[in-house]
Amino acid sequence: MENVLNVILTHQSPAEVDRLADFWKSTVDDANLLIAYGGPITSFPKIELENKIFIDDANLRTVDHQREGQSYTGIFRNVSQWLANNCKRADLVTLFEFDHLPLIADLNMRQMQRMRTEQADVLAYHLARVDGTSHAHYLYYTANAEFSRFVRELSVREDRDVVLSMFGTGSCWKREAFDAVAQFNEPFPIYFEVYLPTLAHHLGFRLRDYADQDLFVTNLGDRSGEIDRARERGAWTLHPVKNLKRLLFSALNS
Amino acid sequence: MRRLLRSLGFFLARLFGTRLIDYQTGKDLGKALIIGWRGKIHVVGLETAVRAVFLPQQRLTYWKQEIGFTTQPPPDYPNERSAISRKSK
Repeated sequence: MENVLNVILTHQSPAEVDRLADFWKSTVDDANLLIAYGGPITSFPKIELENKIFIDDANLRTVDHQREGQSYTGIFRNVSQWLANNCKRADLVTLFEFDHLPLIADLNMRQMQRMRTEQADVLAYHLARVDGTSHAHYLYYTANAEFSRFVRELSVREDRDVVLSMFGTGSCWKREAFDAVAQFNEPFPIYFEVYLPTLAHHLGFRLRDYADQDLFVTNLGDRSGEIDRARERGAWTLHPVKNLKRLLFSALNS
Repeated sequence: MRRLLRSLGFFLARLFGTRLIDYQTGKDLGKALIIGWRGKIHVVGLETAVRAVFLPQQRLTYWKQEIGFTTQPPPDYPNERSAISRKSK
């Protein structure tokens, strides 16, 4: 049986983080849960959960995320280091933003099953090939000669023009792929939804999507009112769920 | 405010725009305003990432050519980690 580390990325208040962690504990074992905290340093000690790391990276704390090239490299590096320092066994690492909720008890099992079926090294929501298209992030980075030089220099693949995009939340990584990406130096700020899948692809890893589960993970709006309906329709997770306070309070009380 | 303007822009593009169809699959790609301006074609309000290509013509015409739209196939590349050792040799 493979071991999965579930990393929850959050910048919420300590009370909300602990409530969210309690909610996650209904799905995964405490030992397989890690909070990656991107909020204020003064709030970090107040988080009660034992497995927590503070992400001290200005490139994560962007305002205009896409244009400033928000980076998850600090998260990857800190998680990879934490696993090594604590001698933790994790065959897979999965990353969830705070407003991405698990809806099923066997989420990790289903992720493992899909990884096996697809022979994937990485699973990601809304994974797409975007080079040569009107995709806004691709067009922005293709205007920068540094970007294509970076890809060409690192790639082990024959076709070095491929650029991939994925959603930031919900990705699941084999440990080898996770550590390889964590060790890589980002040449300049590249928005992580393009950087992470493109880097992993050109390092030789196989990326696949979540197929029909993409329906339940969208980027805008608030799907707090859809939880029961999504569960009935077979959702493993739901994103974005913004109204966490009321939701988690009622879920934990029940 | 920016999000509001963005929503308004999408609303107008969907109201007045033309529906784009994937010329390879027939799939609906959404609606967009297509405007020729200063020697370029501007595509406004399209939410799907598309590739633009001049379409093959069964009838030879000198006065008209068509630009169609399609998408990239979903990524399905094999693991090529073994290429790392080949590359480093």
